[in-house]
Amino acid sequence: MTKRIISLITLVLLCFTFATAYAEHTDDSSYIYDYWSSANQSLNAFELSTVINSDSVEGLTLGSVDDVYVHGDKIYIADAASNAVDVLDTNFNLVKQIKIIRDTEGKIVVDEDSNKQAILNAPEGVFANDRNLYIADTGNNRIFVLDINAVDETGENSYPMSMVINKPDNMVGSTEFIPSKVAVDNADRIFVVVKNSTEGIIELNTDGSFSRYFGVNSPTVNLIDFFWKSIASDEQKAKMSKVYAPAFTNVETDSDGFVYAVTTDTASEEMAFRFNAKGENVLRKFGYSKILGDLPTSATDSSKSTFADVAVSDYGVYALLDTSKNRVFLYNFDGNLLTVFGGKGDTKGKFNTPSSICWMGNSLIVGDSKLASAFVFNPTDFGALVLDAEEMYFNGDFDGAAVKNQQIVDMNANYDHAYVSIGKNQLMRDNYKAAMDNFRLGNDKTYYSTAFGGYRNLLIQKYFWIFAIVFLAFVTWVLWTEIAYSRKQKKLEEL
Amino acid sequence: MMKKLLEDFKYLTYVIFHPFDGFYEVRFRGKGNLALGTIILILYGLLAIVKYQYTGFIMNDNPLFAMNSVTTFIFGIFPFLLFCISNWSVTAIFEGSGKFSDIYTVLTYALFPKLVLDAVVVLFSNVVTAEEAAILSAISVAGSVFFAFLVFAGLCVAHEYTAGTNVAMIVATFVAAIIIIFLAILYITLIQKAVSFGYTFVTEFMKRW
Repeated sequence: MTKRIISLITLVLLCFTFATAYAEHTDDSSYIYDYWSSANQSLNAFELSTVINSDSVEGLTLGSVDDVYVHGDKIYIADAASNAVDVLDTNFNLVKQIKIIRDTEGKIVVDEDSNKQAILNAPEGVFANDRNLYIADTGNNRIFVLDINAVDETGENSYPMSMVINKPDNMVGSTEFIPSKVAVDNADRIFVVVKNSTEGIIELNTDGSFSRYFGVNSPTVNLIDFFWKSIASDEQKAKMSKVYAPAFTNVETDSDGFVYAVTTDTASEEMAFRFNAKGENVLRKFGYSKILGDLPTSATDSSKSTFADVAVSDYGVYALLDTSKNRVFLYNFDGNLLTVFGGKGDTKGKFNTPSSICWMGNSLIVGDSKLASAFVFNPTDFGALVLDAEEMYFNGDFDGAAVKNQQIVDMNANYDHAYVSIGKNQLMRDNYKAAMDNFRLGNDKTYYSTAFGGYRNLLIQKYFWIFAIVFLAFVTWVLWTEIAYSRKQKKLEEL
Repeated sequence: MMKKLLEDFKYLTYVIFHPFDGFYEVRFRGKGNLALGTIILILYGLLAIVKYQYTGFIMNDNPLFAMNSVTTFIFGIFPFLLFCISNWSVTAIFEGSGKFSDIYTVLTYALFPKLVLDAVVVLFSNVVTAEEAAILSAISVAGSVFFAFLVFAGLCVAHEYTAGTNVAMIVATFVAAIIIIFLAILYITLIQKAVSFGYTFVTEFMKRW
């Protein structure tokens, strides 16, 4: 009887349990590509938490959101439609709106050449580091460098101008100096993206003088075009449409001083770049698939993800913002796809015209220019685990990462690269058998081979006597046949 | 029956290492055995299935979740049958003296070393690392080369061709095979169209009256 009562109570209690996973604002499911490039269901890693727009933030008027940047405890939003840069704190309260540039004494800066006041005109890019705030004043073809630490007498940030960068006198090439996006590396080199520039990213020195064009982007070579070009005469060639190097759309720097860039040009062979100082693409591509966002569904599918912006975290996880299907793709340092979220539409968590993306801690802010809003996405329980695992792995805490990855695969068995991560940890601990199992689950043949080599060595050591006996038997057999043969020969000779 | 099969199998091992003499005996002295050839071909089809599933993880790129053993079997033996048919159709026109059964015997006998070597590769692929996998690939290629040589020699003898003619005939065989596949696809597509037309016609007819 008591058993029955207990089971009845348990049953009633079970009816009132709630799912504890934190993903209450979303019913989306995510996907991830496996070894065979087929999209498998995955758990959603990010969910919409806050919307920043004119309605939700007091005193803020946004005409569009063209760039979002987070540095320290401030969010900077470039708004080309209202000709302003808005500064918010991390609790999403408006701190300051920058429309007019003032100097350190609080006076409005006057441009020497045109004798006009320095007013922002359609700023499309903003960047901040510990010293300066950089604003790409696109409509006026200049970049403002503002002092980020200066405060006025009330103790508020006043953002006085420390430098203005007009078109450098020593600039070469045919590119017009219309800065759209700007990024600065840890050596204070300034990287400027000009819309539709085929010459690459403009690199400026700290003082604003021209240094060089940076980064090469190669267009895809079409075999048919190549054939026709090879037989065409010079006059015919002159009439053919020229193939230009695809332009970059956005630029970002990471903490190691590497420059990330993306492009929306579908003619480009690669869509995301990580440039070293020589301007070579050193993006790590050790994932299951290429870093192209959505993979083509068939051989004839020519649709491509086009990236408007890239955001790099301190631990190498980067988010690519796709404008063809309005999705966000998260990759880790090695190029493994971590998660996908967003999409086209008017519902919560979808975008209309995404323009920019930026990390705020472990949250992502996505700016949408048409909707004139910035959306803050927080990681779900699953997403937090994924990011923690990546951070630990990047910082060398492999044991911690393995624990997190084990939790990840407990939640999501489709998450193949987590198996590899666990396997690597087991391999380092010479736990070959378990490592082999995980590499098999994660379809990593290279590491499986290493683990298998170790496992096989152990087996050979353990059962060495069998191998020894087989070998000795073989040697004996060879010797015996030789002896038997020579005896036979001797007998024949004797005859 | 069994004894004959065993005897012919013993002769098969001779044929493999003495292809010209061996295939001569097979062709003109009745030492070939169609049943033995068929067994080899079926074994090869079964090996294709085994290969798909049991090749070691390091050398196996097949999506096991999408495995279909019937399709694998058919695609395993189909090319050889196609080769037989197209070679027979070509050589029947160009003075080849071999009958279809001769071509079939040559091809299936020639398959034997490839069968053995591929089986060895499947077996050992489970105990090698990625670095050693190259050796197994080499063995597999060696099997294919051996097979190609045996087919070449066998067809020379069977059709009483010189080497040069034989090369030309083999090239023609591949062309013929492509034509056969093309016609087959054309036929299937046409039948499909006709069936779908009939189906639409009947549906329309039934909906209106």
